[in-house]
Amino acid sequence: MSELLVVEDLTVTFPTTRGPVDVVKDVSFTVGRNETVGIVGESGSGKSMTSLAVMGLLPPGATTRGSIRLDGVELLGRPDREMRRVRGEQASMIFQDPLSSLNPYYTVGLQIEEMYRAHRRCSRKEARRVVVEALTQVGIPEPERRAGYYPHQFSGGQRQRVMIAMALVCSPALLIADEPTTALDVTVQAQILGLLAGLQRETGTGMVFVTHDLAVISSIATRVLVMCRGEQVEYGDAEQVFAAPRHDYTRMLLESIPRIDDEVVL
Amino acid sequence: MSDVLLRVRDLTKRFTTRGPYRRKNEFTAVDGVSFDVRLGETLAVVGESGCGKSTSARIVAKLMEPTSGTLEFDGEDITHAAGARLARYRAKVQVVFQDPFSSLNPRHTVERILMAPLDYQGIAPKGGRRAYTRELMERVGLNPDHAHRYPAQFSGGQAQRIGIARALAVDPKLVICDEAVSALDVSVQAQIIELLRRLQRESGFSYIFIAHDLAVVRQLAQRVAVMNKGKIVEQGPCEEVFKAPGDPYTKTLLAAIPRINPEWDRRRRAAR
Repeated sequence: MSELLVVEDLTVTFPTTRGPVDVVKDVSFTVGRNETVGIVGESGSGKSMTSLAVMGLLPPGATTRGSIRLDGVELLGRPDREMRRVRGEQASMIFQDPLSSLNPYYTVGLQIEEMYRAHRRCSRKEARRVVVEALTQVGIPEPERRAGYYPHQFSGGQRQRVMIAMALVCSPALLIADEPTTALDVTVQAQILGLLAGLQRETGTGMVFVTHDLAVISSIATRVLVMCRGEQVEYGDAEQVFAAPRHDYTRMLLESIPRIDDEVVL
Repeated sequence: MSDVLLRVRDLTKRFTTRGPYRRKNEFTAVDGVSFDVRLGETLAVVGESGCGKSTSARIVAKLMEPTSGTLEFDGEDITHAAGARLARYRAKVQVVFQDPFSSLNPRHTVERILMAPLDYQGIAPKGGRRAYTRELMERVGLNPDHAHRYPAQFSGGQAQRIGIARALAVDPKLVICDEAVSALDVSVQAQIIELLRRLQRESGFSYIFIAHDLAVVRQLAQRVAVMNKGKIVEQGPCEEVFKAPGDPYTKTLLAAIPRINPEWDRRRRAAR
């Protein structure tokens, strides 16, 4: 498989009053086209910082070492002006809370259109057509009309659909999803996971799926990276990580999850 | 039955909001809900956001007045209890909230937080405040030497233990847990679930456990009530409801839960 994203020995360091702290330490993984890699870990494990580093969206002050190559091109150390072309065009990201990622003052159609026109030269008419197409693709009913709605007029699940439409409007090769279903109800979560899997089959997008929920990871990822305190604890095929974890931390994590189908003695 | 601790009948809560042009909008958050909580048992109330589970809990905790319906606790009608009767009720019913940090006063020490329910009741703890604080902290697995620290000095899981200790201070008969483990990481969540189970075994009180996570509920509750759009669509023993759900909504809810491939689970357990 041709590798789309190659992350090698990525280290992210923050300066603190007590000296530099590595929030991500020597993390390496690869993502192929049409493949989903899951990054799991508890809060503070460095999973979000890893994905932000790929997008070049780390908070100011953070320094990075190692290498992040997208389609063979090094991303680390690229000037912000160039990263802006990469974001949206080659790699997109969706976040946990779609409401805080959308501008409440503009209709969702306008926001998706803006994203598209930032990367493609085209008429507004053409852009509008693309917007409606994108909303249709993510299963928003009556897309022509709903494009004129504001973010607050959508439910949480539909807002996440809008975010996905926006992220995929320029057909990026890589999609990073950072806890995209954590804030959603389980039935809505199941719909969004189904949507992402379906879109991936259609478009061949490589996906990095960041979450704290191992059950979600097991249903969507082909490979899994387990992180703890900034370190890469375990990395391998989903089946190996879940069926035969090599590390005690992974085992402990797996044993902590309450199972709905297990018999319980109270 | 005589072992019923809390009897809730036809509980309804309507909210009125004013829209533009002073138009009245009515929203029924809880719609004719009835359930019993027996002595020493755990009743879970589950459902998705907006189903009315937290509103029901708040009404039972007397943090909110119902539009109609009755609450009966220990054979006494407490629907409109106020003053001294309400204070007596509050000595028997305590709440543990989802976010420990926003439910603990950041400027108070652990000792002051834990003694607050007793101060409200005007009770002096046996053996003195210091000793009783230490005892409570030990019961929930906290280091009693940290009684003079502030909430911010604890982790999320530890802070939730403080919240639980505070609920236990008055020796309640019913503890309402409103998404008490939802905000915690899985490893911490497992510890808090174990703590809640142990405390119930030791003290024999009842829980109303409000949650959206059915797998967590399975670990704690004997009986479960499933809510959707303000109504209880199904209630019964956990084993029955989870194994053979009768209501279509319960079925959808159960089917939507992400599961780890059971074959992988089985192989991992076998290898150990």
